[in-house]
Amino acid sequence: MTRLRTRFTGLITHPLFVVALAVLLAVSAPGMTTGSVQILTFILINVIFAQSINVLTGLAGQISLGHAGFFGIGAYGTAVLTKTYNLDMIISIPLASALAGAVGYLLSFPTGRVREVYLAMMTLGFGMIFYEIVREWVSVTGGTMGLSGVSSAALRSASIAGIPLNQVSYFWVVLAATVVVVGLLSNMTRSHVGRALFAVHHNETAASSLGISNAATKRTAYAISGVLAGLAGTFYAHLVGYIGPESFGVHRSIEVLVISIVGGLGSIAGQIISAAVFTYLPEALQAFAEYQFIVYGVILTFSLIVLPKGIAGLIFDPPRFVRPAAMSANKAHASDITWNASAGRIAIKVEGLTKRFGGLTALDNVSLTLTPGNITALIGPNGSGKSTLVNVVCGIYAPTEGRVSFGDTVISGLPDFKIAGMGVVRTFQDPRLVPNFTVRENLLLGAHGLIRRSGISAAFALPGALQEEAAFLAETDAVMRLTGLSDFADTPVNSLPYGYRRMAEVARALMARPHTILLDEPAAGLSESEMVMLGTIIRKMKEHGLTIMLIEHHMDFLADLVDNVVVLDSGQVIYRGDLEGMRKDQTVITAYLGDDAEDAA
Amino acid sequence: MIEIRDLWVKYGAVEALRGVTLTAHPGQTTAILGANGAGKSSLLRAISGLSPVTGGEILLNSQPIQSVPPEKRSRLGIAHAMEGRRIFRQLAVQENLELAWSFGARGIDLDAGIREVYDRFPILREKSATAAGLLSGGQQQMLILSCATIRNPTHLLLDEPSLGLAPIIVTQIYDFIAGFARDTGATVVIVEQMAKMALKVSAHGYVLRGGKVVVEGESRALLAKGVAETLSASYL
Amino acid sequence: MNFFLSLLLAGISVGSIYALVALGLNLTFLTTKTLNFGHGSVMMICAIVVAYFASSGIAIPLLLLGSLALAVLLGLCVERIARPALRGGGSMGWVVSTLGFGILLQGIAAREFGSQAVAFPAILFSADDFFIVGGVFVAYQYLLVLVVSILLLLLIESFLRQTRWGHAVRAVSLDAELGVVNGLPVKLIITMSFVLSAVLAAVAGLLVAQVGGTVDPAFGFNLVLFGFVAAVIGGMGSSLGALVGGLVVGILSKMVAGYVSSAAEHAVAFGLLMLMLAIRPQGIFVQPEVNKA
Repeated sequence: MTRLRTRFTGLITHPLFVVALAVLLAVSAPGMTTGSVQILTFILINVIFAQSINVLTGLAGQISLGHAGFFGIGAYGTAVLTKTYNLDMIISIPLASALAGAVGYLLSFPTGRVREVYLAMMTLGFGMIFYEIVREWVSVTGGTMGLSGVSSAALRSASIAGIPLNQVSYFWVVLAATVVVVGLLSNMTRSHVGRALFAVHHNETAASSLGISNAATKRTAYAISGVLAGLAGTFYAHLVGYIGPESFGVHRSIEVLVISIVGGLGSIAGQIISAAVFTYLPEALQAFAEYQFIVYGVILTFSLIVLPKGIAGLIFDPPRFVRPAAMSANKAHASDITWNASAGRIAIKVEGLTKRFGGLTALDNVSLTLTPGNITALIGPNGSGKSTLVNVVCGIYAPTEGRVSFGDTVISGLPDFKIAGMGVVRTFQDPRLVPNFTVRENLLLGAHGLIRRSGISAAFALPGALQEEAAFLAETDAVMRLTGLSDFADTPVNSLPYGYRRMAEVARALMARPHTILLDEPAAGLSESEMVMLGTIIRKMKEHGLTIMLIEHHMDFLADLVDNVVVLDSGQVIYRGDLEGMRKDQTVITAYLGDDAEDAA
Repeated sequence: MIEIRDLWVKYGAVEALRGVTLTAHPGQTTAILGANGAGKSSLLRAISGLSPVTGGEILLNSQPIQSVPPEKRSRLGIAHAMEGRRIFRQLAVQENLELAWSFGARGIDLDAGIREVYDRFPILREKSATAAGLLSGGQQQMLILSCATIRNPTHLLLDEPSLGLAPIIVTQIYDFIAGFARDTGATVVIVEQMAKMALKVSAHGYVLRGGKVVVEGESRALLAKGVAETLSASYL
Repeated sequence: MNFFLSLLLAGISVGSIYALVALGLNLTFLTTKTLNFGHGSVMMICAIVVAYFASSGIAIPLLLLGSLALAVLLGLCVERIARPALRGGGSMGWVVSTLGFGILLQGIAAREFGSQAVAFPAILFSADDFFIVGGVFVAYQYLLVLVVSILLLLLIESFLRQTRWGHAVRAVSLDAELGVVNGLPVKLIITMSFVLSAVLAAVAGLLVAQVGGTVDPAFGFNLVLFGFVAAVIGGMGSSLGALVGGLVVGILSKMVAGYVSSAAEHAVAFGLLMLMLAIRPQGIFVQPEVNKA
């Protein structure tokens, strides 16, 4: 059954299948009734519209309740440009779509700062404002009367690049656009862009720790989503020839959300199937049209509970985030791990660091130096400030006083993703991998900051982008060999045992080619043999000159591994030196044993 | 009395407890020791109903309580001071005490209870109108203990009451805990990283490692055998 | 001057409606950090039922009681629907499912009562009852809305501050798990917050319908957005904040509508929302939390 499903998924998502289906549709369109061609065109429009939600909500995890706004900007944009300014559709459609993309980009500034309720309400508000503007800006939009006489394929008043369009040729245009959109999206999803979108969706802190800027990633998502919704809107306008505000109200936003959720958020193929179903049904079944809102309501109420992954989750394998072409190109590379070129020269200096949370002083004037090629263990009882120190060094918190620097570069106060981009990478106490990514995909995510090719070249699958991806895949293989993960390369991490997940997080950090690595309790939950392997990996990092700090409680693990020990207690450094000395140090013993004064005497 | 038999707790893929068996007797303090991540807090959370139990039994005075929802367990006489100094930080000291008392207090008058708390820790009377979040660590710990005991619990679970406190305050707090078990006959279970301190006030001690009991015995014997030192060395 | 005064009065009147909506949203936000995105539909359905059956001659007081009873039922439904999503974490689940429930109600209303506006009966005062202040006609209905809003606000605020159950609600809002450990009936409190929220929605719906004179299935959606902005301005969870926020949004949007353009109402609300989230995300009446992450 699973094999059948995998083969089915492989078939459906194969580019040749998509092209064949498109050709079949194109060839048979002239023989259909105009009604059928019209419905097919509507389906394609909804496919593009649903992909727009899929990018924003499915990939980047940002809910939108106001997408009709972008759709409307596209529709009114092209209508006004063609009608008032007499532009050809070949110019007006890209322009109007770009306008919708620009609005999406701008909207991402306020919405990118908020989440949950606030995000949902803001997008709802965006949709409502658009609706109001369209109703009231009569001179441009025609107000509640709408704009009639938009050049339309149905009325044979439309032409593109001077070539007159009838309904069939318009269908061909929309079909071609849909195939291009689906192709580009499918390439983009399976590149560093798609992986970054999904990483931000899953865990913003973890994404930043790999050098991914959450704000920039969300801006990208909003812009792409805006362009797609706008494009769908332009096609809609030139199909029906009349647009009025009622077509762009809340119900349109809800409809596309329903399509996208039922199709399966994150799945491109699922969107297509769902768009077809929900466009065709109301046309075919009068009863469905009558109960449309009730049906949508019921679907929204229960879908995420009953069928959280939609149709796609039911019939397809989960989407993957690496292109098969890159995988096969990878075989040509026989790569070893590439280490950071400046490793071995970079010492991290922490000077007079204090961090207060309200009245609580978590770090109190902490100073220490991490020397390259040295392993420093950070030790201390619970609540002594160890994790806070790592968080300040990595930029999750800004220090209250003091600074962190390497060489002449002060890094304290910089945002976390910038610090990660400068080669200071950390792992978390609880592994923060993207749970439905495979080990390989998670590791590739680590290399995000190193990828030089643009998202656009990835979307067009240009050879350069493919080669670069292949090179990193080869490096991924090498890192997996080192960390003993090769056998699980294509296993989603949420089905891996805990120990492997921890190892995968260390491996992912290595993929970023750091010169400094901070490991937060890397050995917690590992078996004896896994600990031995972790020790080997950490020694290898040391060999290559990395500056290493680890928080750890497991003394057996640290015993023959670390060079220096720093002990924190109540936010202060109470010991600096080697492990042996620490065991005899009276202050340290007191901090751990809780000896009271009477014992000390 | 709390009896735990072959208890398993799992968070997703992580097994926090792997077959723990122990007994805590009334009128005594039982110490649960171990390094970070050994499963100590999970054990207390399982007793008060906050952790997902996947196997085994928890008996309160010989009655199984797994099917009892957590808020009812608290009314059965379990009080739990959670790790990380959990307290309603925005509410005043007195409001915290009233809340702790108001649902399921066991035959004790609120005013009398509060008076008793203030007599024991006079600093709390001075700060009665101050938001709990603005108290010092030691004062917060006093408040947490007072909230846990104002309802006259028969079973008191304490998670690292010494965390981040000055030694003199730790002593004061431990004196109170030992006294509480002795005077009220309650079953006290205390989770600690500071092994020596906990063993001094307790009658019985258990050491957890990787979710299992690895050492158990009378506290005095454990102290004499130097378990505290060994234990501390294992995370030192 | 008269124009200004009448705008002000209209602003206060709609503002107190926004305050009621905000108050309803606040309640579930307090206990669960979630909102019912179908809040507007609850307002609508509770009002439309009264409007529809009033024409068939059923006594109004009976209808009002029935409407409130319906609200209780709907509140229970919403809580039941949001519950699995609440456990699953993430906002996606409950936003979508409560929104879906709202749309379902809207769909049912449109089918049963038609999508046209239904006339709402004059209950206490008709639109013709007014008195004159400073040369401006003030409808008694406006006054009624304001008085009811303030009364409900005082009631809720004194419940939260004076009773042990009110304290328990505040405790749950601060730390539900700690509440459980202290023996507070957390589940019951959450359910009750949804029920009370729905009842407030019903009251707001009845009042709006009374002032506006008609109800239609799409009614309520807008009001929730304005109510939400009011709640954010005052500070999510604060009752006084809901009132002040409601009045600010109401007066400002009426002023802008009167002096600039009636189309700008939404834009004003949206602008206020963004401004507030940018400069003081916790709202006017809520202290920022001192928290160690």
